[in-house]
Amino acid sequence: MFLSALAVIMIASSHSADRKVYEIANLKEEVKELRSAFVEGRQKLMQLKMESSVIKKLTDKGLSPSEEPPKKIKVKTQN
Amino acid sequence: MFIFAVLVVVKLINIQFVHGNEYRDLAEQRTIQNVIIPANRGNVYSAEGNLLATSVPKYDIRFDAITPSAKNFEKHIKSLSDSLAKFHGKISSYYEKALRKARANKNRYFLLGRNLGYSNYLRIRNFPLLNMGAFKGGLIVEQKTKREHPMGGIAQRSIGYERFDEDENVTRAGIEGAFGEQYLRGSDGRRLKQKIGKGQWKPIEDYDQIEPKDGYDLYTTIDVNIQDIAHHALLEQLEKYKADHGSVVVMETKTGEIKAISNLGRNKEGNYYERLNYAVGESHEPGSTFKLMALAVALEDKVIDTSTVVDTENGILTYYGKKVRDSKNGGYGKISVAKAFEVSSNTGIVKAIHNSYTDNPKKFVDGLYDMNLQNTLDLPIIGEGKPIIPDPRIKNNRWSGIALEWMAYGYGVSFTPLQTLTFYNAIANNGEMVKPRFLKEVKEFGNTIKSFDKEVINPRICSPETISKLQQLLKDVVEKDYGTGNGLYSENFSMAGKTGTCQKDYQVKGKHNYISSFAGYFPAENPKYSCIVVIHEPDKSVGYYGADVSGPVFKKVAQKIYTDTPIIDEINDLEVQDASIKTNYENYFEVAQKYKTIMPDLRGMPAMDAITLLENMGMKVKVVGSGKVKKQSIAKGVKLKSKKTIVIELS
Repeated sequence: MFLSALAVIMIASSHSADRKVYEIANLKEEVKELRSAFVEGRQKLMQLKMESSVIKKLTDKGLSPSEEPPKKIKVKTQN
Repeated sequence: MFIFAVLVVVKLINIQFVHGNEYRDLAEQRTIQNVIIPANRGNVYSAEGNLLATSVPKYDIRFDAITPSAKNFEKHIKSLSDSLAKFHGKISSYYEKALRKARANKNRYFLLGRNLGYSNYLRIRNFPLLNMGAFKGGLIVEQKTKREHPMGGIAQRSIGYERFDEDENVTRAGIEGAFGEQYLRGSDGRRLKQKIGKGQWKPIEDYDQIEPKDGYDLYTTIDVNIQDIAHHALLEQLEKYKADHGSVVVMETKTGEIKAISNLGRNKEGNYYERLNYAVGESHEPGSTFKLMALAVALEDKVIDTSTVVDTENGILTYYGKKVRDSKNGGYGKISVAKAFEVSSNTGIVKAIHNSYTDNPKKFVDGLYDMNLQNTLDLPIIGEGKPIIPDPRIKNNRWSGIALEWMAYGYGVSFTPLQTLTFYNAIANNGEMVKPRFLKEVKEFGNTIKSFDKEVINPRICSPETISKLQQLLKDVVEKDYGTGNGLYSENFSMAGKTGTCQKDYQVKGKHNYISSFAGYFPAENPKYSCIVVIHEPDKSVGYYGADVSGPVFKKVAQKIYTDTPIIDEINDLEVQDASIKTNYENYFEVAQKYKTIMPDLRGMPAMDAITLLENMGMKVKVVGSGKVKKQSIAKGVKLKSKKTIVIELS
């Protein structure tokens, strides 16, 4: 009786281990998908924000990069 | 019957005891596997942390044309073809035909798309029929890990790759190749797994198991913004001059960090792409940019000065029957060495070097050696070109009677663009020669494992006097209106550099090409970056002078960095105290407090204050003139009625 109970527990736990393996495999797949979605988004962003592509897009609107650098005024206050 | 039973028993015993071990091993092999767990390869980042290279899963989508039922196939084929046609930009009937053919031919592995990114994979997975899955729709998805460069083709060759063929041989290019084994790869893990169905494997206890160790991340010195500008500036010039290939390298003067490196070559269709790492690998005759090295030796040996006058004669000198010509017909007459350098007179420089060293050419060669020019830079990137300097003491057929004169203007010697740049950078860095480097840090999960500092090749390649003379020469090439680099001159920002227009393949008959280059640094005072641009084989009918072909790339990079650095003005205090304003204000305040209904004496008060005062008292004010109050229509001390108009005259 006791032995058969042990056997049932053993079988149950081995099944639950198997289930976990499937779960891990699914999660891994998901991680991979999310990762590639992230890289793809990042790639799009990087190509969009590259200065050369911004310049290309804005020339139609009559905007071009400044010839002069921006000026920055720095105030050194005592307080 | 009995015999039959005996035979069964015999066979059983045979299987169980004679071949038992064999079969048990076989069973174990089928269900237990020693699985290699691959380590994730590290990423490559730019200096600011933008991804330059990473590993991402890519998908191949295939279609099993047999699996779907005839009903489903017919129902969805039209809409599936439409979707596929839209996806690939082809026509719908093409796909319908192809899919029907695949089904007729019993093709269970029909390719729908290769190397798709994640979002495309999602799209295709949701197409009609395919969205029914593998068992009903016949969708087959194959996933593999690919190395991806989120920046696109930019700096691809310098970022590089590591590629394995079937025999485990590795092709290594660029940074990935140089540091792959050491940092990026990581080490694979290993463990036993048992088969449990659905194509899954369950780990089982194994005392020999090894955990995988992921590769480290590399942070390079590359600045994405500078790289972007350098790449596109180079591309523009290459296209304009229909050149074969070219490269541009930007290096930070003080530290030797490579901020941008772009190498573009032309393919058969005339498009440019990162073909080979020319900047690192291609050793070529530098031409006029080498005049700087020649003068550095001569100035350091004090055999000439920048004011020494040389006779360029008629622009043609003859040594041992070979001619040295100037690009300007008729030569420049008698000019100083400085001017010879600035107008890039071949005869001028050759004569100066010839006169000083013809009796002892070894001394000139030793001078070059003292500046570490004979050594490679010992770069981690594989395939660096070797410098060539002819030496009369070494019998390798490189030395000849005219070798010294040829060397003086950059022929017979050979350097890679990066080696030339390192020398120019040393001049910009007041004589300290630093090694170009590509790596900043090695990190694991954001923690620094190793960081790299600047490496000094030679703390002083020549004396400070020589350096300041050379710096002045390079500056004048751009600033003086006769300088070859004057076309690049800009009022806004300063640059210094040397043009080079070098003949290529001159030994080969019928093949006559040029290498146009520009090497230098900016700003001319306290240089921040040095830069070299080398363009090979521009179309001669469009132009070939270094200043025209390569110079604009240099200028664009310099201008870009200039406009990106804000000019900072510092002021001490915003509270400006002006004595007259203060007394005016106090005066106004006093009057305003004192007079509410009686006319005050406004004379000498600024008009602005007077108007405010009177209007606050409820009066109407009429102003004549401008300046301070001279006259008021109502005398001081008179009691005022409301809404009365008061005229004030100003001066």
